[in-house]
Amino acid sequence: MKLSAIRPIALVLSRELMITVLLLLGVSFVVFVILFASPGDPFSVLLEGQLSTAEVRAGVREAMGVPQPWYFQYLAWLAGMLTGNFGTSIRMGLPVLPEMLRVGLNTLILTIGSLIITLLIAVPIALYSAVRGTNKISWPLTMSSYVISALPVFWLAYIVIYFFTHKLGLFPIAFGFSSAGQKYRWLYQLLPIFVLGVGNGTISEVIRYLRQEMGRVMAEDYIRSARAKGASVWKHAFKEGLLIPVTEIIASKIPFILGGAVIVEQVFNWPGMGRMAWQAAQDRDYPVIMGIAILAAVFVRMGSLFQSVVYIAVNPRASKK
Amino acid sequence: MKHYSQISGEISEFSDLPFWKKADGVDLVYVGYGVLIVALVVVSYIFGSFNLLPRDPQDIDLQLMMAPPGTPGRLLGTDFMGRDMLSRLIVGIQAYFLPGLLAIFIALFFGTSLGVLAGYQGEKFNTGITYFTNLIDSFPRLVLILLVIAAFKPDIYYIMLVVGLTNVPVVASLIKGKIQFLKQKNFIEADIALGVPTRTIILKHILWHNCRSLLIIQATLGMAEAILMETSLSYLGFGVQEPTPSWGNMVQSGANYFMQGKFWPSTAPALAILFTILGFHLLGDGLNNILEGKRST
Repeated sequence: MKLSAIRPIALVLSRELMITVLLLLGVSFVVFVILFASPGDPFSVLLEGQLSTAEVRAGVREAMGVPQPWYFQYLAWLAGMLTGNFGTSIRMGLPVLPEMLRVGLNTLILTIGSLIITLLIAVPIALYSAVRGTNKISWPLTMSSYVISALPVFWLAYIVIYFFTHKLGLFPIAFGFSSAGQKYRWLYQLLPIFVLGVGNGTISEVIRYLRQEMGRVMAEDYIRSARAKGASVWKHAFKEGLLIPVTEIIASKIPFILGGAVIVEQVFNWPGMGRMAWQAAQDRDYPVIMGIAILAAVFVRMGSLFQSVVYIAVNPRASKK
Repeated sequence: MKHYSQISGEISEFSDLPFWKKADGVDLVYVGYGVLIVALVVVSYIFGSFNLLPRDPQDIDLQLMMAPPGTPGRLLGTDFMGRDMLSRLIVGIQAYFLPGLLAIFIALFFGTSLGVLAGYQGEKFNTGITYFTNLIDSFPRLVLILLVIAAFKPDIYYIMLVVGLTNVPVVASLIKGKIQFLKQKNFIEADIALGVPTRTIILKHILWHNCRSLLIIQATLGMAEAILMETSLSYLGFGVQEPTPSWGNMVQSGANYFMQGKFWPSTAPALAILFTILGFHLLGDGLNNILEGKRST
């Protein structure tokens, strides 16, 4: 890539990074407010598990001048988080951050894998119906995309598990992430990715958006010119008609897929953030669920950062506004 | 006389025909199916709340466990404890119906207020609303709900409060966009020049005459989202608890039997979820295509 192409990207990247930081500050504030409004004060929750007895805790509180105004508590929590101290899990007794990063990787694999599956299904259908319009093939495809999007993902997971364990006999009946047969272990790990990719409930929206954008671009004058002079229509339409819409829709659907991951991880015993969040909500393990909410928001923001980078790389003029 | 309808700055002509004559056949099928489902849900809800059920939903009959649909006296069969599936499905509607309406109300009320502020009052609210939208969009909804559950308690009304609030930005930006378009059409200026009170302009001329269909569509989609969230959470064990039926916990409690090859106890509520959410989605999209003229092909 030429240097002149990198400069606008760097400019926009720094601007987007600033926005991201502002948003993540907002996210941490929202998380804090929810906990602050809850019965019991967050500061005591954060101290819990770090100090053994109530007396010591009371001593620390007094030494630190607690009860302090809320903004001080917030800043103290934020400062702790910035230095990597997300507190200690009440249930596990372990620091939250390393645990979260460990499972976060699994969730990242699940999320990105299922995004790829979603796109593999949605892009061909969208392109076909954008180019050919509504006909005998595209109309049933669109209709079934609606049905698939309404499918409860947990039920889809049951069907898939039943099919693979009973009909194909590939996995032991007592299934689990680690107890799956050694031979087909890799296949077992692909199942949740497939289930979440199909059943996350966004396919019909993705198809609709991609079709609409591609249809719009195909009607543009420059596509007609390309066609008239015999150039490749696909080459001209690719960037605006497919690349940008795909990154846009991916960025906006990441929160939904992370939400679906909570359920899919639960069904498949996938040791990820969603399962951890579920467990934390069961146990009211505040530090863990706070950390996960923030990490999830970081994932989402990274997605839209990626989207704006692609957008600027494709269309450097947009950085000038 | 011509009506003008717009999408994102384009003006397209609509004839005076009633909407069912100028609409696409496909959209009419969508809307027809959606209306059917909504009617079914509302009627079932009413029957359920007056306790007009085929059988007692808690009535255990160990002689007749996991009966297939069509068994005499039990139209949709029974679950793994011999309880009547149809009655349980009908009572299951209560788990999401009123809470879902609350979520819709919150989303529409606050979304409309913010949208009017941003669109009518001008640019100074715009940045703030964009920030707020991005902030809400940064949270996966289910994770935010789990956070609220951990902080407070697993109550369906807290959950629906979150669902409603997270839908506020969508409604707000749609209303904002609509008002910004309407401003180009001069009738607001004319209203102001004529001395029409601001209240009348906003409530009657803008919201009632021009944003009505948009709000109905958002309400439909909001209900689909509320059903999805309620069933997901009661599936995860945070919503309605057994023995009170909810479609989500019915799927969950039938899961073990599903793996043994007895599909029905899980499948019946799962199909109920599928057809209902599909109905609300199709109704919303069909209405969107017909009333707002958004047909891309």
